[in-house]
Amino acid sequence: MVRQPQSWAPSLFFPLLLAAVYSSQFSKAVNLPDFPYPDISFLDFILPACVIQGVLFGSTNSATDLAGDIENSFMDRLLSSPVSRPSILVARLASAFVYGLFQATILITIFYIFGADLAGGVPSALALMFITSLLSMAVGSFLIAVALRTGSQEVVNSLFPLIFVFIFISSAFFPVELMEGWYGAIAKWNPLTWVIDWTRGLTVEGFSWANFIKAVGIVTAIAVIGVTIAIGQLKKRLAAAS
Amino acid sequence: MRNPIEAKELSRTFGDLVAVDGINLSVAKGEVFGFLGPNGAGKSTAVRMLTTLLKPTSGQAWVAGHNVMSSAGAVRKRIGVALQDAAIDPLMTGNELLKLQSVLHGIPKRKARARCGELLETVGLTAAGDRRVGTYSGGMRRRLDLALSLVHEPEVLFLDEPTTGLDPTSRVALWDEVRKLNQEIGTTVFLTTQYLEEADQLAQRIAIIDEGRIVREGSPSVLKNQVGAPTLRVDVWEKDYNAAKATMAHFGEERPARKGRIAIGLNAGTRGITVVLKALEDKSIEVQHVELDEPSLDDVFADATGRRLEGGESA
Ligand SMILES: Nc1ncnc2c1ncn2[C@@H]1O[C@H](COP(=O)(O)OP(=O)(O)OP(=O)(O)O)[C@@H](O)[C@H]1O
Ligand SMILES: [Mg+2]
Repeated sequence: MVRQPQSWAPSLFFPLLLAAVYSSQFSKAVNLPDFPYPDISFLDFILPACVIQGVLFGSTNSATDLAGDIENSFMDRLLSSPVSRPSILVARLASAFVYGLFQATILITIFYIFGADLAGGVPSALALMFITSLLSMAVGSFLIAVALRTGSQEVVNSLFPLIFVFIFISSAFFPVELMEGWYGAIAKWNPLTWVIDWTRGLTVEGFSWANFIKAVGIVTAIAVIGVTIAIGQLKKRLAAAS
Repeated sequence: MRNPIEAKELSRTFGDLVAVDGINLSVAKGEVFGFLGPNGAGKSTAVRMLTTLLKPTSGQAWVAGHNVMSSAGAVRKRIGVALQDAAIDPLMTGNELLKLQSVLHGIPKRKARARCGELLETVGLTAAGDRRVGTYSGGMRRRLDLALSLVHEPEVLFLDEPTTGLDPTSRVALWDEVRKLNQEIGTTVFLTTQYLEEADQLAQRIAIIDEGRIVREGSPSVLKNQVGAPTLRVDVWEKDYNAAKATMAHFGEERPARKGRIAIGLNAGTRGITVVLKALEDKSIEVQHVELDEPSLDDVFADATGRRLEGGESA
């Protein structure tokens, strides 16, 4: 990983850039009458969303690597060795989790340096790291399923904008309460909005088990669906082969 | 006890295309078996079925004593595989790749370290072991690929076109590695190739595959002799010409030759040459020049398919 900064650096740099842009552009939002957290800075408001966004951008990596392995037939090397078949999937999921953890740690540190304030202190920071890593794995599992299905890096990478769309039509950078029309309606039902709202509860209001469990619950549910699909695709690929 | 490689009516279709069409194989322990065929003949498809990477459409195969379908795991433990075009991460060093491969095969760390060093030495990459694979030449990569397939001391080794695209020197170097391995450790080797010379030089027995079917099988020399007798050409002094011609007629049919030269199809095969020369010597006929032309494996291929392999070799 250290040897390929081009693969992980953008997923750190990009969210930071966006954070800088948003906080200078939208910071007035905090002063709007209906803003749910009148007492905090906009930076504090978008912190969890920025961490989640960074981690989601990075969540494609694991799947892209897997598709690459299939493309260049490293997968064949794996499959012709006695490596257990499920471990191929487990390793990728674990790498998505660890990679998420790595990114979350760096992003939170940077935000802290730039003066963001975590109401919940260390427990909230740890909770945020855990939730985002789990989310990285959950979203990663869908992408891994696509990688297994298509064996094409190009297809996996083409899903990247979709992640963007999910983030934008959510409460990431703007409270759903202030959104209007269809945009608000979709955002309200975007699972990412729930994850972000509960996670934001943890960082803005302070640590609470209720919010933590709700956030972990929804992310776990996403992960269960994704992993189930990925297992199905792995089985399919193995059946076609061996 | 089964032979290290056995296949019975092994077939694989892709849609309408029959890539491998009911092949039967039996490779003995310690043998180097060559699978010779042109582009698209079905060599890789056969190898992928034998190495558990591809499910046969019909038929059965056993490798290292285990069924490739019902006991795929047991097969994988016992085979080494160097696939055609199997990419290796250019950012990793040879040493790191060997260690990774050891992990895949569950070799304990301490043992793996010694083994990796040994293997690098075997394939002549000790000096390059800590360099990134991206900087390796084609020949070095193939040698590393060979080393990778050997980390777990496999009983049966599969090499899919191990020297395609290599220059002649690297090719000969790789042949030497394979020979050494086969002779010193007794590893059974299944090797596919498009090169006549490779099959000829390296394999004790070969099968020629064309359009998914095995069209000839046997040792290269026997196959070549089956196509026809080798041509023996002899030059003698003019005074001995008629006597020599009469003597040589006992050993085979006369064949066209330029003026002053006698040519026959040597019925006894290449080994018959000493008998002919002895017979000439007994008649006090001095031989000035001798040529023996064996039929090539290309002749064997042409005999079996009506086409020539040699033309495709530059690909
Ligand atoms: N996964 C696949 N899907 C469809 N067709 C395939 C597939 N794999 C191989 N084929 C076809 O099966 C035939 C045999 O291919 P195979 O790769 O076994 O040939 P080969 O003898 O290894 O050739 P080469 O010397 O070019 O490597 C070819 O016509 C090829 O196009
Ligand atoms: Mg091939």
